[in-house]
Amino acid sequence: MEREASELFEEFKELTASEFFRRNKQMLGFSGKIRSLTMVFHELITNSLDAAEEAGIQPEISIDLKRVDKDHYILYHMDNGPGIPEDFITKVYCTMFAGSKFRNIQSRGQQGLGCSGCVLLSQMTTGKPARVISGYKKGEKLQGVEMTFKMDVKTNKGLILDRKPAEVTSTGVAIELQFKDVSYSLSEQGAFEYIRRSMIANPHAKITFRDPTGHKYIFERATDVIPPLPKEVLPHPRGVTADDLIFMAKHTDKRRFRSLLTSSLSRMSTKRVNEIQEITKIDLNKRPKDMKWDEAERIVELFAQMDFMAPPTSGLIPIGKVQIEKGIREILEPEFVATTTRKPKTYRGGVSFVIEAGISYGGNSGRVVGEQKRAEIMRFANRVPLSFDQGSCAITEALKSIDWKRYGIRDLENAPITVFVNIVSTNVPYLSTGKQSVAPEEEILHEVRQATMKIARSLQKYINAKRAAKDEEMRSKIFETYVPVIMREAALLAGKDVPEYEHILAKVTRRPKILDEMDIDLGELADDDIVGEKDDE
Amino acid sequence: MMNRKELALNRKELAVNKLQSLGEKIIEDVNLMNVPAIKVPSRGTSNIVYDDLKRYYVLGDRYGQRSLGNVKQIKKIGQMVYMANFCKSLVETGKTATLREMYYVSEGWDIDFGDQQESNIVGEDLEVTLGISREDLGLMPEEDGASVYGDITLKDDDVEINALRMGKSGYTISPTIDEVELVDHNVQRVIAVETMGMFHRMVQENAYKKFETLIVGLKGQAARATRRFLKRVNEELGLPVYICNDGDPWGFHIAMVIISGSAKLAHVNHELATPNAKFLGVTASDIINYDLPTDPLKDIDVLRLKELYKDPRYRDDFWKVEIKKMLKIGKKAEQQSFSKYGLEYVVDTYLPEKLDAM
Repeated sequence: MEREASELFEEFKELTASEFFRRNKQMLGFSGKIRSLTMVFHELITNSLDAAEEAGIQPEISIDLKRVDKDHYILYHMDNGPGIPEDFITKVYCTMFAGSKFRNIQSRGQQGLGCSGCVLLSQMTTGKPARVISGYKKGEKLQGVEMTFKMDVKTNKGLILDRKPAEVTSTGVAIELQFKDVSYSLSEQGAFEYIRRSMIANPHAKITFRDPTGHKYIFERATDVIPPLPKEVLPHPRGVTADDLIFMAKHTDKRRFRSLLTSSLSRMSTKRVNEIQEITKIDLNKRPKDMKWDEAERIVELFAQMDFMAPPTSGLIPIGKVQIEKGIREILEPEFVATTTRKPKTYRGGVSFVIEAGISYGGNSGRVVGEQKRAEIMRFANRVPLSFDQGSCAITEALKSIDWKRYGIRDLENAPITVFVNIVSTNVPYLSTGKQSVAPEEEILHEVRQATMKIARSLQKYINAKRAAKDEEMRSKIFETYVPVIMREAALLAGKDVPEYEHILAKVTRRPKILDEMDIDLGELADDDIVGEKDDE
Repeated sequence: MMNRKELALNRKELAVNKLQSLGEKIIEDVNLMNVPAIKVPSRGTSNIVYDDLKRYYVLGDRYGQRSLGNVKQIKKIGQMVYMANFCKSLVETGKTATLREMYYVSEGWDIDFGDQQESNIVGEDLEVTLGISREDLGLMPEEDGASVYGDITLKDDDVEINALRMGKSGYTISPTIDEVELVDHNVQRVIAVETMGMFHRMVQENAYKKFETLIVGLKGQAARATRRFLKRVNEELGLPVYICNDGDPWGFHIAMVIISGSAKLAHVNHELATPNAKFLGVTASDIINYDLPTDPLKDIDVLRLKELYKDPRYRDDFWKVEIKKMLKIGKKAEQQSFSKYGLEYVVDTYLPEKLDAM
């Protein structure tokens, strides 16, 4: 029996964001057991760091992961941020796309889905509610509240199950969530490695982590300097799309499109606006809401042909070479570390970015695979570790293209080395929705190479010096072993007493260079008439 | 004239003194506040020169320094001194050891050798530095020397030996030939042959009687002891030495090493070379004149002949002509190829003709 269209469309209901992501949780990065848990850690940690920094507090996070059963965990995550006022708790944790707006700012947050995604995953896999305790300041007074709630995916809102005042001693948020179908792993993609890497890129934070076996890791902060908050900068004309222009037009309070352009984009003068009007013949005095798609498209096409000053770089806050070094020293305890922060550059003509790199050697640098130390690449975007899709990432590609032999590293894969690369930008060009790998923009590849080659040279110097010192030590050892033996045997041969030879030993071991090297290899003197020929006169 | 035993005693004393001087030099350097160094004559090709007067290879006057202050050389000095002590005790107690035995003994030293090749080389260093042969240092080659048949009486320790009464295989030259006394003989000459096949042929055909000769079976490249023996019978007993080998570059060179010594042993050639020895054949001319059965020269034979042609030891016209001739006919022949004319031919016809021509 055929069904009428209206019947079919009865089932076609408008999806809320929550409902959409309930059906498509892989779009939040929740695919695979290991990756899902790493993404939960990522969302909660970046949220806590952002919150503390915005409030000017040195971040301190405490995480406790308990294993209930196979692939079933309870996660306690607590921070020392400013806390969340009671009325906003469900908004933060249960509403998808809360407060999402067009902002051109360097930020850790990537999806705008953050914590609510974690609550959603918890609820979907266990059916259990989330429990939050928040301590926050109301005026001068410290307030505390404990709340148990679920997410109502149909309405994209929170469903409060229990709410009561809580005793708190400081500001901050603690959340308890349960998960199934996730797994804790020590692999490069796992949650533990995510924390470790976060600590290198955020040396101002402290994290205490108790793993499922009960082992407690304390990652101390390596610096007291809280990074300045990134400022919002106006997007550069080269960095916007037609869609961005329409979005701006919809949300502006300007009355004319021309004033929208000058106030919303950087490097956009009245003179430029007049040029645009002249060339496109579009009336830019009309109301922004009247801007049509094809007009916006034409304007963006024109942007690509016009000459603009490079975008302002004031919005970029790199970690800084000193801070990266502190982070690496704290976490990797290397023998040697070199770091660098490059000057801002732009890609696609309009998006500014900064590349920072660090290289560490020895200590806990590199990954232990079996019995061997392997080199490891740590990729970051705006201080956030990129754990997945390493193969397709511009950072990996740039590092692999370097001729490491030139820097005394015969085999990068098998060297006890960690290479750290962070890209800082208001708009990191990710390759895919997972936002785990950087697109191979030519300028980015170039900058990563330059940054890394510079510090690789420092490493080479260190390795050479180390090798020379080792050779020197071996040299001395040879003399200290052989001289007494030779003296004893020579005396026996001569039928005399062993002479005082300390002065000779001192003389030969302190000699810095071997001057009269007679390097004739008599081992090759096998054939009748073929003899090596390198003797000194 | 001193008898052999006194002479040997003398050599012994000399060896001990030379070994001792090596130790003394080091101790003296230390006492003079100098970093000890040992001069080791160079064995590089450019330092091996053919001495026209002596008619064999000798070492030039270039040398390398082994300094105690050089990280690569100090080990070699240590090995040399250790080895010198070992040799000193060998000579003093009148014993000998093979190079292999010494290598095993060295395992117990504070400075050892990586392999026997390394210890052999240090042994040569010691020979060349002290200017005495390794036999005098008590180091003996592994292998015995050639077989000798004919009327010669030798005295080894207290035992008298006559090389006619040792069976058909004759007397085997001992590595310790320098301690053997040449007591008496009843021959006019010495004929050395490359193969034992030829040796037995000559014994059977009574060549020792016919030519009043000692027959020496070289068994290929002559051992050091053999060369020492040939030199001694030539110089001490005044017997002419003739060499009869296969008619190919390898046979030529076996003869030449007896006559003019090897480049590698340039430092001891004065003890080993017999410049008066003569090459009897088989020559390229013999191949033609006697119409011998032949094999074609292989590539490697041609290559070797060309090498020999450039070698200063082959500078005589005789050799130049014969090498060129062999290259021209492109053929080589074995000693035994005379059997074409019957087993006796070589002794009845070939040898008398050749000896006459000498």
